[in-house]
Amino acid sequence: MSLRLEGVRVTHGAHEVLHGLDLTVARDELLVVLGPSGAGKSTLLRAVAGLTALSAGRVAIGERDVTGLRPGRRNVAMVFQSYALFPHLTAAENIAFGLIVRDVPKAEAAERARQAADTVGCGHLLDRRPGQLSGGERQRIALARALVREPDVFLLDEPLSNLDAELRVEMRAELKALHARVGGATLHVTHDQVEALVLGDRIAVLREGRIEQVGTPEEIWQTPATTFVARFVGSPPMNLLPADGPLAGLAPAGTLIGIRPGALRLGDDGTPARVERVEVVGEDAHVYLRLGEYPVVARIPSAGRPGAETHVTVRDTDVHVFDPTTGKRA
Amino acid sequence: MKAPQEDAPPRSTSPRGRRQLGFMLAPYALGLVGLVLLPAAATLGFAFADYDLVQPPRWTGTANFTELAGDGIFRTALLNSLVFAAVAVPLRLAVALGLALLLHRRARGVGTARTAAALPTAVPEVAYGLLWLWLFNPLYGPINQLLRVGGENGLTALGRTPPQWLTDPTDARAAIIIMSLFTVGESFLVLLAARLVLPPEVYELAAIEDATPWDVFRRITFPLVAPVLGLLLVRDTILSFQVSFVPALVVTDGGPPPYATTYLSLFVYRNAFEYLRYGYASAATIVMLLLTVAAVMLQWRLLRRWQRLRPR
Repeated sequence: MSLRLEGVRVTHGAHEVLHGLDLTVARDELLVVLGPSGAGKSTLLRAVAGLTALSAGRVAIGERDVTGLRPGRRNVAMVFQSYALFPHLTAAENIAFGLIVRDVPKAEAAERARQAADTVGCGHLLDRRPGQLSGGERQRIALARALVREPDVFLLDEPLSNLDAELRVEMRAELKALHARVGGATLHVTHDQVEALVLGDRIAVLREGRIEQVGTPEEIWQTPATTFVARFVGSPPMNLLPADGPLAGLAPAGTLIGIRPGALRLGDDGTPARVERVEVVGEDAHVYLRLGEYPVVARIPSAGRPGAETHVTVRDTDVHVFDPTTGKRA
Repeated sequence: MKAPQEDAPPRSTSPRGRRQLGFMLAPYALGLVGLVLLPAAATLGFAFADYDLVQPPRWTGTANFTELAGDGIFRTALLNSLVFAAVAVPLRLAVALGLALLLHRRARGVGTARTAAALPTAVPEVAYGLLWLWLFNPLYGPINQLLRVGGENGLTALGRTPPQWLTDPTDARAAIIIMSLFTVGESFLVLLAARLVLPPEVYELAAIEDATPWDVFRRITFPLVAPVLGLLLVRDTILSFQVSFVPALVVTDGGPPPYATTYLSLFVYRNAFEYLRYGYASAATIVMLLLTVAAVMLQWRLLRRWQRLRPR
């Protein structure tokens, strides 16, 4: 089933958190909502789940308008950042919880819990309690619990953020494979751009309760709609310079040009630049330069580190042009 | 100012530090020895003696215990205490838990309600008893006046005589239990804290899973606060032999006949301070202590068994 949000507004007291969002998640699509802390990502998820009331707008799942329905009647499943496992129940009981409270016979609930656990690869953990499980194992149990009821929509609230870096990469891949296998409209919230780019069929970038851009990971990366998206997605962030600055001639005067750090080429030709510092990050080096009065950062192979002075060139095709007033792509 | 030396040993391990610790511990240690251990040892000794504060104690062996076994008043007091513990302790816990679950949310007036729930525990026991003496008065007490609303000729709306709180044995026992239900402030605060630290996400998850309030209570809240409840159950059982003392003394004076609200604590008090039978009272105290220990051990075993056998 698809998920559709129309003009969704959420206010907390006098403060409006979501400013009329329109968003659609197609059936079997994994849409990642990406944004910094305080952007309203979790509020959006909670609004879809029914845990936070809308002040205006509409939420529809398939053809059903669920705006006025309580959470339990929306047929959504949510994986919380903390996993929200019941510490006093075993993994099997945690997974089967939603079935048991809906009066599914115990034997059937246990069998479905076992199948869901097998789907996410935690069938061998069913007798353990959350306190006896690692972070990754808890996450699998939380995923199995979301799967077991076969909901119309999956809501994932930063499910990987509590895992260590190595496990996060592993679980990210598993999550993608799982979604490919199981399907279902999925709204996945994260502040991690890599997670968004790897996982998402599409990405919605959220900023201060407004959607800045919705697009495929390629679109978000290659044609960021605003300077916010351009700088938020990418590490180090995109360099922004006035078009009539030190790299003049790449775009009409009066605009802003954006150049990703990886697109800056250092050599003996081009605009002179002073190297302020170099950070080596494994095979890459981040070179912090000063182009006239403007600081920029370049990402180059760590083997080719420059001296104190260098020159910068950039290809026309690597330049993004933005309106300096609105921040939108020109 | 002189900076502390980094390689200086911790203060507690130095002789001066130990002296300081000992000095600070002294008031508590002295109090413990002087007010608890010595009286306990004296009580144990007196339990096997005849002592009236005038003549020196006279060793009587187990005579006090033998007399207790044949004492009808003691048996009544023992039964009253056991019934009080069996009825009042679960009810007190239920009231405290109910209040904690009712008042854990943020809402208008909740702060005032929490204060009101905790306040009776802070009222001096004698004042509290005198207040209830007025509340329970069969003629002009507000409780019976309220029960008579809608009735005729001094009867309740159901045509029954209102409870005779201070003169009928069963009603008097009920009165003492009712009084104890309002002094649950400590348990209420402990359970409120226990409920407040439960993660909100598990309740949100329960809402998404369409769990009913009853499901939420029995499958989430109750099991999660059960360890605290178990602890309070043991604590309240120990306290139950004490909390009935002042109400029974002030409100019902151990009556109405035949010793309807004479609990072990009142029995001990009367024998020691009214009849000056310190030895006999000490023997009753030892029995009371053994009963408390037995009750706590039984509960502990039951709780552990329940934990093991809890349905999954």
